[in-house]
Amino acid sequence: MDKCIREIRDKAQELLETGQVEVVIGFTAGTLPGKSTPCFITRGEDCKLLVWDEGCKNNLANYLLKEKRKAAIIIKGCDSRSLVNLLTENQLSRDRVVILGAPCPLTEGCEGCQIKSPVIYDYLVSGKAGKTGEDDFHDVKTFARLSPQERKEYFYKEVSKCIRCYACRNACPACYCRECFVENNLPQWVGKSTQLADNLIFHLTRALHVAGRCVDCGACQRACPMGVDLRILNRKMLLEVKELYQFEAGLKEEQELPLNTYDPGDPEPFLAGGGEA
Amino acid sequence: MKEPKIVAFLCNWCSYAGADLAGVSRLQYPPNVRIVRVPCSGRVDPLFILTALKHTDGVLTAGCHPGDCHYTSGNLVARRKFTLLKSLLEFVGIEEKRVQFDWISAAEGNRFAARIRDVTEEVKGLEPWDRWGGRQDG
Ligand code: SF4
Ligand code: SF4
Ligand code: SF4
Repeated sequence: MDKCIREIRDKAQELLETGQVEVVIGFTAGTLPGKSTPCFITRGEDCKLLVWDEGCKNNLANYLLKEKRKAAIIIKGCDSRSLVNLLTENQLSRDRVVILGAPCPLTEGCEGCQIKSPVIYDYLVSGKAGKTGEDDFHDVKTFARLSPQERKEYFYKEVSKCIRCYACRNACPACYCRECFVENNLPQWVGKSTQLADNLIFHLTRALHVAGRCVDCGACQRACPMGVDLRILNRKMLLEVKELYQFEAGLKEEQELPLNTYDPGDPEPFLAGGGEA
Repeated sequence: MKEPKIVAFLCNWCSYAGADLAGVSRLQYPPNVRIVRVPCSGRVDPLFILTALKHTDGVLTAGCHPGDCHYTSGNLVARRKFTLLKSLLEFVGIEEKRVQFDWISAAEGNRFAARIRDVTEEVKGLEPWDRWGGRQDG
């Protein structure tokens, strides 16, 4: 990884000093060991502060959304999937961002990771990315084997921990709505307190909003201060979208999001009797 | 259990007209259902259904048969949303019968009345719904 971070720093410095970008979005050492923190670098000489290590877990794609300056961003596999989504959804213009792709620095990687090297980039830092396995959705399938009562209890228990801080939503690059449904007040769809019903509706709706767009980066789950198991809902949607519509978000540059389209022959499992009748 | 309360989201062009036909034809169906007329089944946001379940015991959503949508593809886009909503609800342990969908045309007054009878009976047969944990009677 030494060579990798040297290349990142050099390239970032070059981009800043030649005026190709005004800011570089990357990671620098955090205040806690093992936790690197996102940083915004505007001076070439500061590029030596950039790091690329085990602590670089956050999904940086999020930060591009609010960035008005011409920016370079240092990304790994999952961040790049989010970038592909943001480009697909016209939230970013490709010519305003320089993408510095690097292999994922996590040695262990995340369970179920589909791609450790970026899908899109302008420059690719050398270095070998760890291997990815086929995601067998073991967690989702195991959970689905529990009785409905057990599943409901688990879900209620998880969601009742939620304090509605919205850190999960704010960390998620797919949750960029200017006005999120939870903040709507005419009509007010969801109560703002932590009543169980409102928590349940919040989490189910969010899972549906990110269905077909979630890249399983885990940023929401990591951001949650209460340890709510958000991933199981997101991964259920991931599995459904993959099986029903043969789609995995952000893995290909040219993609059509499954919830923006339809096929006349789509299955209708939601109908009584599974749509067979 | 007490009589269940059911909400039906019906599209303006087909299913609501189907309900109308059932009415004009004096077909009997249970009074448990409260109808909400929507422009198209494509207008039915999953949030409507989840919110309805906060106050009622079951939800039926119906629209034009695929191919017959007044707006050509509203119901086709809705299908994918409904598929994911239903599978998510089942995943978290919500009974299949609690949230139902159907295609009902303007000519299917009978189908409408029969569907309301079935949904009402089926919801009655389920354990009482906790209304997302906040059950208040009524
Ligand atoms: S929902 Fe969570 S895992 Fe999915 S893209 Fe958003 S932050 Fe990443
Ligand atoms: S939860 Fe839904 S409405 Fe809120 S920001 Fe995410 S996608 Fe947008
Ligand atoms: S981050 Fe955790 S506690 Fe905060 S709103 Fe999300 S799930 Fe709830």
